[in-house]
Amino acid sequence: MYRYYYTAKLSAIEKTNGGTIYLLPDILIKAFTLIPLVYLWRVVMSSGVEVGMTMSQMISYTYVSSLLSEMLVVKTAATGWLSEGTLLKLYGRPLSVLGQLSALTVGRWMPMLLLFSLPMTLLAPVFGISLIPSSVWFFPSLLLCISLGFAVDCFFACLSIKLRNMTWLIDRIRMAIIALFSGTVIPIRLLPFGLDQIMRFQPFAALGGSPLSIFVGTADVRSTILLQLAWNIVLWPLALLAFKKSQEGMVSYGG
Amino acid sequence: MDKITPIRFLKLLGIYAKIDLAWLIRDTKYAIAAITADMISNMSAVSAVFLIAIRFDGIGGMSSDEVLFMMAYSTLVTGLFIIFGNNNNIHVSRIIGRGQLEHMFIQPLPLHVQLMASGFGPFTGCGNFLVGMGLLVVSIQRLSIQVTPSWVLTLFLYLLATMTIIVARSYLVSTMAFYSPVAAEEISSVAIEGTWMLSTFPLSGMPRAIQLSLITILPEGLMAWFPAMALLGRPPLLGAYYPLIFAMLLAAVAAFAFKKGMKYYVTKGSNRYLPYGFRR
Repeated sequence: MYRYYYTAKLSAIEKTNGGTIYLLPDILIKAFTLIPLVYLWRVVMSSGVEVGMTMSQMISYTYVSSLLSEMLVVKTAATGWLSEGTLLKLYGRPLSVLGQLSALTVGRWMPMLLLFSLPMTLLAPVFGISLIPSSVWFFPSLLLCISLGFAVDCFFACLSIKLRNMTWLIDRIRMAIIALFSGTVIPIRLLPFGLDQIMRFQPFAALGGSPLSIFVGTADVRSTILLQLAWNIVLWPLALLAFKKSQEGMVSYGG
Repeated sequence: MDKITPIRFLKLLGIYAKIDLAWLIRDTKYAIAAITADMISNMSAVSAVFLIAIRFDGIGGMSSDEVLFMMAYSTLVTGLFIIFGNNNNIHVSRIIGRGQLEHMFIQPLPLHVQLMASGFGPFTGCGNFLVGMGLLVVSIQRLSIQVTPSWVLTLFLYLLATMTIIVARSYLVSTMAFYSPVAAEEISSVAIEGTWMLSTFPLSGMPRAIQLSLITILPEGLMAWFPAMALLGRPPLLGAYYPLIFAMLLAAVAAFAFKKGMKYYVTKGSNRYLPYGFRR
């Protein structure tokens, strides 16, 4: 376990190699996006349309979504591992490849959690935003979301192996699909034309949108967690099988 | 050094268009996949805001059709960005940070001309532009906008101003890559892609301080919201000419900073490559 801990630590330090000052643009942009987004929802929700969510629930949803964005939509180094030559490092070490990918990803979360999420959490009362989860089941739901996020990422990694040099394309399409279907940008229950009923059972809905809905108290905890569990049980074996079959097809000329 | 006339510049654009067409013909599957990915990515961003507008019957005093018009403008900007920025020439910190600017020094063309022409990809990059034009026509019909030659000219000027702001800001922040090539290699991506979502927000109805900060410090309001409102006949805050003035000022500041960075770069060089060719 220590080896994975040090892999994660290495990954966290690597992100700040150029000095934390170079993380500042990312932090500022995240903050500058979050504040107008909160006001955008204030404007939208003040229209008085009944959507089954109060304004304070919606604002907490948006705020937490931004604070935990990297956990709610997991993206590992496998996204660009063929073009960047990362896989050579991973296969050269006496550790499980998927274990290393997980440790590297968790490590990469740390700088932003410390430099953006923590200060913004402390600032939340200034904006009048409540960050107290309405149910303790938020935490298991978040873990299931992260677990499913790794499985989904594994599928996209296999797709990038299959399609060889289309990493960039796969990443673009993936981020677009997840942004809309996971409920991290717009809660699924707010979608018009009955889309909310169609989309609530697809696997991406068990990602970010599920823990966020439990956090603000707009989801039925039991059915949400069961759905997340079900998708984890279905997708993980398939992801591992796909990964096992894909490994032989890896071609990398990056570095 | 070649003499640059308008005809010569058009010929240069023609060369890059030919290269782009060659890619489309020789690697059609990948090229079509790239066009599709660009379109899906943009449609995801704009449809999110539009779906909210439909669900809530408008946003902050803008009707859902007006939001559609704003999304059409945003898609047009994305389309133009992809048509003219196909080769990292707008993400210039990558060229600087990777030590690739020297590659351009040996060409018999002024650097700015190479940078202006080298990203032209009208065939593989036109997807979003065409979608934007389609959305524009639909929203114009739904809003019954009187399209006159002066309105079209105004639209063209706003698109030019928006593109100038995007390029100028990218070049301004990219000057950091002259001084710190490794750490700032991707700084232009932060400035362009990092703020893209924010540029799709309709700012109508938001507090004045938020609106002002988003058309000055972080000018995302000038990417779609302000021009769309002005084209709808309701220019917000500082008046209809503001985006044009802001674009000119930002371009002047970016040009000054970029020249200063270039001076440093030609004196110190780049540390990105080892003598035997690998990138650090």
